[in-house]
Amino acid sequence: MRDWFRKIDPTVKKESLYIATVTGILSLLLQAGFLIARHWDCTVLLGNLLGGITAAGNFFLMGMTVQKAVQKEKKPAADLMKFSQTVRLLLQLAVAVLGFALPCFNGYATILPLFFPRIAIMIRPFLDKNKQ
Amino acid sequence: MLELAIGIILGCCALGAGCAMIAGIGPGIGEGNAVAAACEAIGRQPESKGDVTSTMLMGCAVAETTGLYALVIAILLIFVAPNILVDILLKAVGK
Repeated sequence: MRDWFRKIDPTVKKESLYIATVTGILSLLLQAGFLIARHWDCTVLLGNLLGGITAAGNFFLMGMTVQKAVQKEKKPAADLMKFSQTVRLLLQLAVAVLGFALPCFNGYATILPLFFPRIAIMIRPFLDKNKQ
Repeated sequence: MLELAIGIILGCCALGAGCAMIAGIGPGIGEGNAVAAACEAIGRQPESKGDVTSTMLMGCAVAETTGLYALVIAILLIFVAPNILVDILLKAVGK
């Protein structure tokens, strides 16, 4: 397990940690939003957990694929990335379907966290500017 | 007649969801091209591997959102739209 963790590229670790942190913060905001709108119940929390873990996990898997792909030649790297993207999209589809189909998850709370990595990337330049 | 109308609504929603998922092909191709170009860049300048990987990760995540939008539209068309449309139809015919 430790060997596997050591093999992960530091860039992938750093970026995945950033995405997971922002996803966590935005998930808290989402919970607060549901609370304020008085729509909060246990399904919102479970859906948010499912969506948030999927979003962060999807980014990490993408990072791992990129790490593997950059060690390959041009054509196999592109093929690997296409395959990985298809699998990850299907995984997200399965999660979204689960979120809407099972009564223990709130569908909207499951789907919304899938967009959190995009928001994390959008706010990245502002955070970097503040650091500088 | 009402059953037929409901069937058409459900069929069109399923068809729309299928069409929306065509957008899922684009990000895969885009990411593939980006990674291929990154491989070339890292091959030329191995010392820039960290920067290239970091930028590419962010680029890939942004590209992937396009597929996610399509996914959400498809999910809404399958799980949310049919109920709303059937309700509207039933209200229109007075049932």
